[in-house]
Amino acid sequence: MKTLKSIGYLLGLPVILLAWWWLATSGEPNFFVPTPSRLVTTFVETWFGERMLTDVLPSIMRLVFGVLAAIVLGIALGLAVGLNRTLRAVTEPVFEFFRALPPPVLVPVLMLLVGINDGMKIAVIISGCIWPVLLNTIEGVRSIDPVQNETSRSYGITGFARIRYQILPSATPTIMAGVRQALSIGLILMVISEMFASSSGLGFTIVQFQRSFAVPEMWSGIVVLGLIGVALSFIFQWVQRRVLRWYHGLKEVENAV
Amino acid sequence: MLSNNPTSHAGGRTLPEGQALLSVRNLKKVYHTDAGDIEAVRNLTFDLGRGELVCLVGPSGSGKTTLLKCIAGLLGSTSGEVLLDGQKVTGPPKKMAVVFQEYGRSLFPWLRVAENVELPLKNAGVPKEERKRLVAEALEAVGLAHVPKSYPWQLSGGMQQRVAIARAVAYQPEVLLMDEPFAAVDAQTRADLEDLIRSVWKKLGVTVLFVTHDIDESIYLGERVIILSSSPTIVQEDIVIDLPAERDQLETRSLPRFTELRHHVYAEIQKAKQGHRPEGAITMVAK
Repeated sequence: MKTLKSIGYLLGLPVILLAWWWLATSGEPNFFVPTPSRLVTTFVETWFGERMLTDVLPSIMRLVFGVLAAIVLGIALGLAVGLNRTLRAVTEPVFEFFRALPPPVLVPVLMLLVGINDGMKIAVIISGCIWPVLLNTIEGVRSIDPVQNETSRSYGITGFARIRYQILPSATPTIMAGVRQALSIGLILMVISEMFASSSGLGFTIVQFQRSFAVPEMWSGIVVLGLIGVALSFIFQWVQRRVLRWYHGLKEVENAV
Repeated sequence: MLSNNPTSHAGGRTLPEGQALLSVRNLKKVYHTDAGDIEAVRNLTFDLGRGELVCLVGPSGSGKTTLLKCIAGLLGSTSGEVLLDGQKVTGPPKKMAVVFQEYGRSLFPWLRVAENVELPLKNAGVPKEERKRLVAEALEAVGLAHVPKSYPWQLSGGMQQRVAIARAVAYQPEVLLMDEPFAAVDAQTRADLEDLIRSVWKKLGVTVLFVTHDIDESIYLGERVIILSSSPTIVQEDIVIDLPAERDQLETRSLPRFTELRHHVYAEIQKAKQGHRPEGAITMVAK
């Protein structure tokens, strides 16, 4: 009963939206909005074939590499800056400036500097995704409990051991919030970098479809992007549940008091 | 009446050279703040012999926590020194463990109970088998052998402080420093934890320095009580607690001797609050 109910909650709204869409398109055909059944057949025809390997997979690879690199770099830099007061004072205003730059404006510059290749696209994704991770890591490291610090010191937990056993776990809730932002930024930048200069990828293909008035195909590409976003979100939640189990439990206890 | 007076020293008791495990010598701590200097500890001298259980009691704001942090090597002193086994303390020594008042913040919430106890040992490179044994023994000693897989925040306050005590015990320190460890737990739990400290102390033969603002607690627990003056802090008096070694929450606390000692310590602290300074201490300051 309980699972039925939760499945109902999960599928309720999508079913209503589909029904509405179906009703709205069942009258006279609109060139720009395909019917649900047309979109499904187009979706299968367009993406379950060669395009999966030539466009979808390369896009996902760029996204994954870019986001992972941004997370690793962001956390490493964030630790260094967060643990060093001087470094923090020097870098923080600069970071705020770079963070304020919309990463798409970097695409033409990176095209010149890195060249038109996968490296450029990954660089664009990193340049946008690193900021939330970096700034959240700094914040997480900075707001560490002084009693935890004294505990580590009195038990001789210093240097890398302290980072590993105390600082990283303690900053994880804040870092994860940054990673979540980075994922959505990453998806946007993946598409944008492929729209500018590319010969493969989802962004490139969708723009091709638009320019050749292949409207159902274009819509089906947008659906692919949506599905990738949903998949990313599920993966993120799955990881978060495991990594932050202690944190959610702790919060529940604190809220109950 | 005179025979009822406890054996006491004005100023802290010191031991002949080589006999003390922990020595505090002319310790002074001044905090430099934007609003000016604050003298938290003026001049403290006392010794702890090996295996002693000593309570430090003083009015609130008497620099008890400052003193403890200086001894633990967490805070540098302005002048004077702390010696552990003849070695000057400059950072947190390997042979010391600290139990903090804020157990909820001192235990790592992302680690389970057993992992919290194990972490300092793991960090010190103790082999796995040995670690397992020490953790099990420590949890057994504090009566928490049944919850190794729980998270600290799933436990009550008293149990959390037990975990912190187990972590300190498993670390096998020679000196156990406790900074008002029971100030935040309820009275019932507090009584249990006091008895726990006595039993751990007896079983392990560890030297304990227990800081508290609670006069009754200091007398009930200690073999010796060091009374601090109000800030700027010196040792007001250092008295021997001549109560039977077997302590019992009801029996001991209703002994006439307990009441006498309680009166004595209370009177000393009142004097301290009014600014009375023992003569021995004054000459020490002058020196």
